[in-house]
Amino acid sequence: MQKAENFKIEDKVRIVLVGNPNSGKSSLFNVLTGLNQRVGNFPGVTVEKKVGNFKVNKKLKAEIVDLPGTYSLSPRSEDEQVTFDYLNDNNRTDIPEIIIVIADASNLKRNLLLASQLIDLEKPAILALNMMDIVERNQQSIDVEQMAKEFGIPVVPINARIGKGLDQLKEAIGSYKLPPFKKFVDNHETKDALDNTLVRYEKIKRIVEATLKTKGESKTAILTKKIDKILTHKVFGYLIFLFVLFIMFQAIFSWSSIPMDWIENGFLVFGNWLSNILPEGIINDLLVDGVLAGLGGIVIFIPQIALLFTFIAILEDTGYLSRVSFLMDALLKRFGLSGKSIIPLLGGAACAVPAIMSARTISNKKERLLTIFITPLISCSARIPVYTLLIALIIPAEQQIWSFNLQGIVMMALYLLGFVAAIVTSWVMKTMVKSDERNHFIMELPIYRAPRWSNVGITILNKVKVFLFEAGKIIITVSIILWVLSTYGPGDQMANIDEKYQVINQTPGVDLSLSNEQMASEKLEVSYAGHIGKFIEPAIKPLGFDWKIGISIITSFAAREVFVGTMATLYSVGDEENTASIKQKMARATNPSTGEKVYTKATGYSLLIFYAFALQCMATVAIVVKETGGWKWPIIQLVYMGALAYLSSLIVFQIFS
Amino acid sequence: MKITTLAECTTGDKAKLNGIDDEQLSIQLFCMGCIPGETITIERIAPFGDPIMISVEDSFISIRKEDAEKMRIEKV
Repeated sequence: MQKAENFKIEDKVRIVLVGNPNSGKSSLFNVLTGLNQRVGNFPGVTVEKKVGNFKVNKKLKAEIVDLPGTYSLSPRSEDEQVTFDYLNDNNRTDIPEIIIVIADASNLKRNLLLASQLIDLEKPAILALNMMDIVERNQQSIDVEQMAKEFGIPVVPINARIGKGLDQLKEAIGSYKLPPFKKFVDNHETKDALDNTLVRYEKIKRIVEATLKTKGESKTAILTKKIDKILTHKVFGYLIFLFVLFIMFQAIFSWSSIPMDWIENGFLVFGNWLSNILPEGIINDLLVDGVLAGLGGIVIFIPQIALLFTFIAILEDTGYLSRVSFLMDALLKRFGLSGKSIIPLLGGAACAVPAIMSARTISNKKERLLTIFITPLISCSARIPVYTLLIALIIPAEQQIWSFNLQGIVMMALYLLGFVAAIVTSWVMKTMVKSDERNHFIMELPIYRAPRWSNVGITILNKVKVFLFEAGKIIITVSIILWVLSTYGPGDQMANIDEKYQVINQTPGVDLSLSNEQMASEKLEVSYAGHIGKFIEPAIKPLGFDWKIGISIITSFAAREVFVGTMATLYSVGDEENTASIKQKMARATNPSTGEKVYTKATGYSLLIFYAFALQCMATVAIVVKETGGWKWPIIQLVYMGALAYLSSLIVFQIFS
Repeated sequence: MKITTLAECTTGDKAKLNGIDDEQLSIQLFCMGCIPGETITIERIAPFGDPIMISVEDSFISIRKEDAEKMRIEKV
């Protein structure tokens, strides 16, 4: 930030937005910038940085930076450190800067503490008093002019929710004149940070008494207390939360399947069209099977991300999310998690990608990391096709235990297993991960308010953008690598298969689609993926897996459900009639050297456990890279889950065989 | 027995805060408006007795029981 004495506004100004959490800071940011905003990270940390643009007047343009919410300038979390560093950085001198400190006027004393600390930075600042509607509803009034005199900076009353007072705020920016600075509290006259804070409060108390006129009792707090009696009730509280979850899951599972089908079909149609108009060859294959398949694999997540964040944004905006944390904290605390971990953990049952993104609401760094680490262990919807296929293969549909369908029991057991593994992992990691952040779970519970729909919309848009552009890069890359591995092979084996089928396809009466499927299968066998599958066979043999399963494990790193598709391709060999379903083909498969069936109970259970635990999802890895700000944690996670999967499968196979 | 910490209070109690026996915790709570001399109301206690929801002026704050044990109070 520029030295104050050089302050002069010409045609561009930077507005730095600071305020308490829940003071309406993001509302003001959104109402000023609209869609003219971008989300990034502050350098070196995973704290979200929002930057936008707006016009102050005809001549003056403004760039606005939204700093993370903080209660004071004595930083105690990563978020608050970012705010502190940004405000104290004197190296940004490109354009003049004005700090807007936004204060919740319905909760003046506490909000003015931060304002008083900012004044003592002796930098250009404006105080915006937000939530004036609540002040009026509480039959209070604030003497704004008197307050401006006391603080020595301009004070503008606003209502960010409906955009009231914005013109006055812009006017104050456009006509900003550097005031004579005077210290609010001289830091040299107080003995420590605590004393300093108390001295500030003394002075603020006096100013509030002189400027705030109160006629009645605060009504909004009374309403919040009434609602809390129901929503945090020891029985109804949990029942209501369960109901909210039920609706959320319905939405994520069933509503999102419709747009997901459109996306899937859309990409299929577009891929076919593209491969028809482009000349045949490597570019065609790369674009259609590598890039486009990767793109499809990214876009398919958008409905689930959008829906999950619609719910989270509403729950957070209304104030309900903090009540859920309040209810769940005692339970999750024991495992090193926090009350807020409940949303990512449950969201993980739909899809780990949006779930991990939602862990941003957890303010404690360690609790957030543990939550991100264990979320992929929860069985997600992509595991369902794998589970369904394998369960149907090894357990007859009519088999029952105490009149319960065994297939259903196994399915449920897999979900439970994932959940238990997640909780136990967190419990173990709690002692291993060091944290210098103190574990005080102190959380403000904001008063209940109606959600601001434009905020909800902007949140969804930002989350989708972040996923598309940040995680998307990694997903496309991995997708192309996987394509290369399964399309190319060493030597001229591939070419030989091509030649062989060129001859076959020309024989009259041949079923072209059948012979193409068989060609694909033979090619996959000699591809690099096939060679790796055979190469790792000795390592996976103790788990009961053959090289075909090895190939599927490699290709399904793209996404777990790819396992089913790869199996279908691999087993199309030798099925002359091409009538059997993938399940029937796998059931018939025998080991050529021993003549025994490949998919015995032991192999089936072993494979089920493997898919329950292994981190077979490049999108999850990509999002963990993004959310933890590096490759360290995703690699630990990949290795840990891989080892857990391997050992568990080994034990299961040995028990059943 | 005389009640001396916030953790011993029950729902609906009002108490005057005398001090907090933890510097880190003090800073955090002071900045949220929870300062010595203020009256704290116990709004709700979560199932399992933890955490505790308190109100100071018009702020609602959730604190864990182990932190509430460090908050010296005097019932009013």
